[in-house]
Amino acid sequence: MQVEEDRALSAQVSRRWAESRRISPGVLVLIAVLLLAVVPPAAFLINASFHETLADGAPGAFTLRFYQQLVAGKFFLPSLINTFIYACGSAAIAIFIGTVQALIVERTNTPGRKLAFLAAVISLGVPHILYTVAWLLILGRSGPMNDLLQSITQHAQVLDVYSLWGMMLIEGIGFVPLTFLLMSSVLRSTDASFEEAAMMSGASPVRAFASITLRMAFPALAGLTLLIFVKAFESFEVPALVGLAGNVNVITTMIYQSSRQAGAANYGEAGAYSVCLILILLGLMFWQNQLSRHAKRYQTITGKGFRPRVIDLGRWRYGAAAILVGLFLIVTIVPVAMLAFTSFQPFYGGVSWESFTRLSLENYEVLLKPGSFRDSIVNTLVLGAATATLVVPFTALCAWLVVRRVPGAWILDQIASVPLVFPAIILSVAFLDVFVNMPLPLYGTLLSVILASSVRYLPYGMRYAFAGTMQIHSDLEEAATISGAAKFKVFVRILMPLLAATLISSWLLIFLLSVQAVSLPLLLVGPGSEVMAVTLFELWQNGQVTELAAMGILWIALMTCVSVAFHMLTRRHQLSV
Amino acid sequence: MSMFHPLRVLGFGALALSGMASAQAQDLSVLTNKSPSRQELLIEGAKKEGQVVLYSAAIVNQALRPMAEAFMKKYPFVKLTYWRADTEEIIAKLSAEVRAKNTVADLVEGTGVGELAVESGLTVPFTTPATDELPEMYRDPRGNWASSRISYFGMAYNTKLVPADQVPKTYDDLLDPKWKGKIAWRINTSSGTPLFITAIRLSRGEDKAKEYFAKLAEQKIINFGSGSARTLVDRVIAGEIPIALNIFAHHPLISKAKGAPVNTALLEPVPSTAGTMVVPRGVRHPHAAMLLADFVLSKEGQEIFAKAEYFPVRPDVAPLEKLAPVVPAKAGKEELFVGSEKLNRYYGSSQKIWEEQFR
Repeated sequence: MQVEEDRALSAQVSRRWAESRRISPGVLVLIAVLLLAVVPPAAFLINASFHETLADGAPGAFTLRFYQQLVAGKFFLPSLINTFIYACGSAAIAIFIGTVQALIVERTNTPGRKLAFLAAVISLGVPHILYTVAWLLILGRSGPMNDLLQSITQHAQVLDVYSLWGMMLIEGIGFVPLTFLLMSSVLRSTDASFEEAAMMSGASPVRAFASITLRMAFPALAGLTLLIFVKAFESFEVPALVGLAGNVNVITTMIYQSSRQAGAANYGEAGAYSVCLILILLGLMFWQNQLSRHAKRYQTITGKGFRPRVIDLGRWRYGAAAILVGLFLIVTIVPVAMLAFTSFQPFYGGVSWESFTRLSLENYEVLLKPGSFRDSIVNTLVLGAATATLVVPFTALCAWLVVRRVPGAWILDQIASVPLVFPAIILSVAFLDVFVNMPLPLYGTLLSVILASSVRYLPYGMRYAFAGTMQIHSDLEEAATISGAAKFKVFVRILMPLLAATLISSWLLIFLLSVQAVSLPLLLVGPGSEVMAVTLFELWQNGQVTELAAMGILWIALMTCVSVAFHMLTRRHQLSV
Repeated sequence: MSMFHPLRVLGFGALALSGMASAQAQDLSVLTNKSPSRQELLIEGAKKEGQVVLYSAAIVNQALRPMAEAFMKKYPFVKLTYWRADTEEIIAKLSAEVRAKNTVADLVEGTGVGELAVESGLTVPFTTPATDELPEMYRDPRGNWASSRISYFGMAYNTKLVPADQVPKTYDDLLDPKWKGKIAWRINTSSGTPLFITAIRLSRGEDKAKEYFAKLAEQKIINFGSGSARTLVDRVIAGEIPIALNIFAHHPLISKAKGAPVNTALLEPVPSTAGTMVVPRGVRHPHAAMLLADFVLSKEGQEIFAKAEYFPVRPDVAPLEKLAPVVPAKAGKEELFVGSEKLNRYYGSSQKIWEEQFR
């Protein structure tokens, strides 16, 4: 079909593009930029894992001790198994719910479906640490869920959230908005003509979806699954808050514990753990790279007009709307409502009639004292905007080169994914070491935080752009190339406009993720370059849970404002997010 | 410095070293100056320096900002900026700065910072007449650190889950089988399990302490891994955990005053530690740093800490009235001061006991 028609033309172009197997200077420059971003922290980690740490934190004599300890230690294997179960479980939950949601929104005429984007964006604005706290308040021993079940079953304690399933559930639900956004960017750019062809030939909509849409989206789906899996693999908040309290160890909590063990800085064991994490990830990446080898099969946006197929659900569309509302309740409203309730309490003592009699604004008064945020709010917005603006075009360019299999470009994908496996606590120490030693006076500045968080969120931009680019058929670019356009011009004039919707959601996603990162900026900021997330962290460390909740509500309000403003701005320019 | 550094690989090495030489040329004699003209000397020097940077673990809104405002009111020619983080992060940042010979901090304050930083070679000695006012046990004769505030540690319990007549009054009461699985403590922080275990070892001797830990391990203590002492107390208030060990003794009192079902019990001996101040190696504004250290230890500075619900180190500044019940001396309880030097010496072995029996 399509592929065959194109064959002659694309063969000719491919020949031109791959005139030689040599890596073009442009790709080399990109590789160099990425290496510059990724190698210093990676080198710090690897170095730390092979050297003793001296009292002042400097590396001492060479040693293999940390790896030996790791393998011989009684915690390594169980924690590795736990990590796998936890990452698989939470990825499965997130992908299942996120896909259902994306399907309803992108492929049906369910009323109010576009609001799901706003809901997802609001959820993404909730810092993960608060999100976890909210779920613990709901599902905890004294939470309303247990109270309810107790009154029904008359058993003392029904749910124990401090367990592996509790971790999977909280993490899984927490990832739903991200999965949904990525998934819908995949579905949105799938040409419906194939599905239509299948259905004309007598396939049911379900069959057409399963054997056409899902299969065509396969490489993007695989990349997405990998991202969610790895994110769960390296996640910290849920394992620390939920897992440690229930003695469920995973790799990241092992890293955290060992990096704090001796009192003084000691990153040997943490480094060894991280190196293992990186090796596992590289294995997974290699597998994914094999999958996308036949990328051409999956291209669906071609020079011909296309529009994603929307299924008329008839009366069922209200059922679908109910599902969306239900998901919105679980993913966003319930945890945010729990935070809101807690923020109006003088202390948190469970949800009861009595607790509604002692509502107060005291927490907000403490937080809104004059001067509390005057410096950090601007810094925070600058940090988010600058990080997203750096990452999005850069990753779009890289992803495009990777998908078009330009010689050497696969290296870009591999390098850009490496930051995903650095646990943030370790990445911050590594970057601290890099910046404090830099001859340029970057140390302690906001710019250093921006650079570091750009590196950290590279993989997210990459996955987003990858999913989008994967489905753009090369024929448009080939037409431009044949007509004499230079490669860079092709990228700017052809690809960027086609990718606009993807790039815009990617920008917002990276903005929201980078402003709420806590561990990364914590060590990098200096006096005067504080960001709000660090204030949040200070409250987490010293404040009461009620104050923390109040801060969270303020934060969510601010992020919602930013997201809505962004939404309206892009809408005015006819770009849907 | 080490043989290998990521930046060295990228060819920045030579440049980096040349850029840092300037920070080294400071005259540090003022730090140990004991002459009568010290104050004039400090002011004169601080005027030239014009700024001072404080790294502290104290809370910003109630302590650091008021401290900075009061200091700059007194010395308008010095601009004070601060960075707040926990002890572990402060040490990480400080050691990176000192190693890179790029010291930004002029004065570092926090619980557990003192001896750790001293032993790691991250500090330079200093003396100030202000420490003369402090009780003997809160001073360092070698002049490496000065105490800035005191913390007392006790047990928090939920008054709904632990009836008044059953509240554990001694460490041995914790061994009652009815508390099995109902007690939590903080791990991964020096004032958590390491302090608790060290205090038991110091007060009972190694053999008896060992017996005690074997029994305590039977109780299946909940390891509270992430989050502060304050958040652990919040869990007790919420009824998630009936009893929490080694939390800051005044936190439950503050919540109790608001009507929360929680209280503090002081188990004897009551462990206490001090927040300490150190001057980092490579300090760039030594005169202003000394002015600031003096100010933190002055009556005025200590009153700011007291108002922020910390316990002042000066005997002539009283802690807040509502916090007095947890001051061992006032409650008629025996205090066990585990200074930064002792805590540091026992840290590794106490951590090992936890690792082997409670993890």
